[in-house]
Amino acid sequence: MLELNALTVHYPDFTGCYSLTVPRGALCAVIGPSGGGKTTMLHAIAGFEPVSGGTLSFAGRNLLPLPPAGRPCSLLFQDNNLFPHLTAEQNVGLGLKPGLSLSASERTAVAEALAAVELSDEAARRPGELSGGQRQRVALARALVMRRPLLLLDEPFGALDPGLRKAMINLTDRLRREHDLTVIMTIHTPADIAGAADLVAFVADGEVQHMAPPAALLRPGHSSALDAFMGV
Amino acid sequence: MAGAAALPHPGLIAAGLLAALIMAALAGLASAGGTATLMPGPYLWGVVRGAASQAALSTVLSLLLGTALALALTRRSSFPGRRLLMAVMTAATVAPTIVIIFGLVAMFGRSAPLPALAASLGLTLPAIYGLHGIVLAHVVMNAPLVARVLMAAVAATPAEQTRLGQMLRFNPLDCLRHLDGPVIRREWPGLAAFIFLLCFTSFAVVLSLGGGPANATLEVAIYQALKLDVDFARAAGIALLQIMLSLAFVLAFSAIGARLPDAPGQARGQTRPDAGSRLLFWIDGAVIACAMLLIAPVVLSVLSGLGQLPSLVGADVARAALTSAVLAAIAAALAVLLALLLASAAEAAPLGRASPGRARLVELAVLALLGLPPFALVTGLFVLLRGTGSVSGIGLVLVPLINALMALPFVYRLLAPPLRQSAERHGRLSTSLGLSGVAHLRIVAWPALRRPLMAALALAAALSMGDFGVIALFGGGDLVTLPYLMAERMGAYRLDEAGAIALVLVASATALTFLADRA
Repeated sequence: MLELNALTVHYPDFTGCYSLTVPRGALCAVIGPSGGGKTTMLHAIAGFEPVSGGTLSFAGRNLLPLPPAGRPCSLLFQDNNLFPHLTAEQNVGLGLKPGLSLSASERTAVAEALAAVELSDEAARRPGELSGGQRQRVALARALVMRRPLLLLDEPFGALDPGLRKAMINLTDRLRREHDLTVIMTIHTPADIAGAADLVAFVADGEVQHMAPPAALLRPGHSSALDAFMGV
Repeated sequence: MAGAAALPHPGLIAAGLLAALIMAALAGLASAGGTATLMPGPYLWGVVRGAASQAALSTVLSLLLGTALALALTRRSSFPGRRLLMAVMTAATVAPTIVIIFGLVAMFGRSAPLPALAASLGLTLPAIYGLHGIVLAHVVMNAPLVARVLMAAVAATPAEQTRLGQMLRFNPLDCLRHLDGPVIRREWPGLAAFIFLLCFTSFAVVLSLGGGPANATLEVAIYQALKLDVDFARAAGIALLQIMLSLAFVLAFSAIGARLPDAPGQARGQTRPDAGSRLLFWIDGAVIACAMLLIAPVVLSVLSGLGQLPSLVGADVARAALTSAVLAAIAAALAVLLALLLASAAEAAPLGRASPGRARLVELAVLALLGLPPFALVTGLFVLLRGTGSVSGIGLVLVPLINALMALPFVYRLLAPPLRQSAERHGRLSTSLGLSGVAHLRIVAWPALRRPLMAALALAAALSMGDFGVIALFGGGDLVTLPYLMAERMGAYRLDEAGAIALVLVASATALTFLADRA
């Protein structure tokens, strides 16, 4: 279980104070207006924001003293997830050994991860030769080989076509069930996530204002702020 | 824009005029008498070989020290003296060559503190005069340039990738391989071409620190042919040789993808995955200490002139300062105008469709301008113009013209990238809005170009103000600039007064750069 309790990030022009509980193995979608602090929350969980107060724990373990590399999470950005001078295979391999001198069993793990995201044929290509969706799948494959139980996705499929976006969300859903991952994903288009997410959190003005299963949260009339965001 | 298709772009006209000017100058020089030799003899080939190996050595050492310094300063975002070092690095890249020479002689010359210290320990340092002196001067001037360009390029790495490095537990070697390596590989060829050409055609450094004909460059050979042998045709031949070699060099380099290095932008801080390594801590400390010891004393030696500043109060210094300022202002305006014309010609294409081939051609031509021999040009033009006015009157026209040409490659790399960016970002939008002419300039181009334009003007003015090339041939009589005066004082061993002038020169160059950064 992931627990945020008044986790506070403070900037001169922005203060975020997040409380959120996500059960193990759940997929939690985070929605909300731009500039409301969704990305800051994910970065605070991953260890990229200076936290000034509150608690953060996963499976009962306090994460706050840990550096980004020591936390049980992998983070996918909207863009620039891959190193352009490395092939898809090497980019996945980075998740196992940054030095890229992989053993036979590690090579097998990389191949399996690429197969899981249906990119076995593209293993030798560089990011420049891949489509936007393929690049994000390579990044997902790297997150898989890292075997970290908490997967954070920051607008990962925002730049993709609607059909492709749906397919990527289904892929993420399947992978988290197969690999027992807890997933938190920020998303701009709540309708896409309705079938896959267990929970939806509405983040605005630097805090989690509402949190409920999608069927309850995404219907009109839940709250005025949500209605304004959804455009109903 | 009707009718614009019929006329060539003004930038192309400017390029044509420049080419015609260069050819006319060489023809004028060749016609002025002397022994025309189209085939260079063994002496000249010796000069070419020597200058090429000197330039190669200077380039390699500048790249190595500059890169180490860039990485060390990127990893160590705060330590006492960092701001001083950064300021000294900026000063070293804009300081007049003659000031760097003065600093080196002051620090390493016969009666300087370092050799004296060594002597008291029973050691003898090699004299500053000779190949190592030349290379040292070139490294002091160019390593900070490399460092500043690379720091800006490394800082432009997407923040996501630096965070990935943290998340993936990159060790220092992984950081070098995945974060910095690709940036270094991308920037090195252009930087190398730039520095090699600068050192291959170096003049003032070689003339002052050369210590003999063994270390001459073609530029020095031209100077000698003009000033000592008074053999104009020979000078024209050597000038042609230098232009041809520079062109061939630029073409060869373009085959491996060299481009002009972009001017350094502002570097912003990022937490580096390798900042915690103990080993790197010591390595970075050593690199920074080396740079401090090598670069800082040379630049800061001008402070020795502080006490002598009062001695500068006098008519000749005031006159020289005024002359310098006027020449620099004209040269800067001309250089910026030419760079703007060329850059917009490079980007001009119907409907905002970029033409990479043309942009590349203009960029290569600008890079090749580094190989232009200023003495040959100025003498050739003088030959053509003599009789039309007094020597100093003609000089007043020719010195800023040649200085503008010399500053053009530096100015171009400040102006071309923002112009290209503005065209890429807003080209279609302004076309669709029907914005053209003055309205386009005012609304679209000016806001994007204001800062780079100020920076370019300041840099060109600083470079021209410190120029000790053409003026060495032309100066004297009525046309005396600050660097000329400084060289005179150095020649007369009035080093304190020379130091005071150097201080004024560095202060004005640094002030110009500082103002441009605030623009």
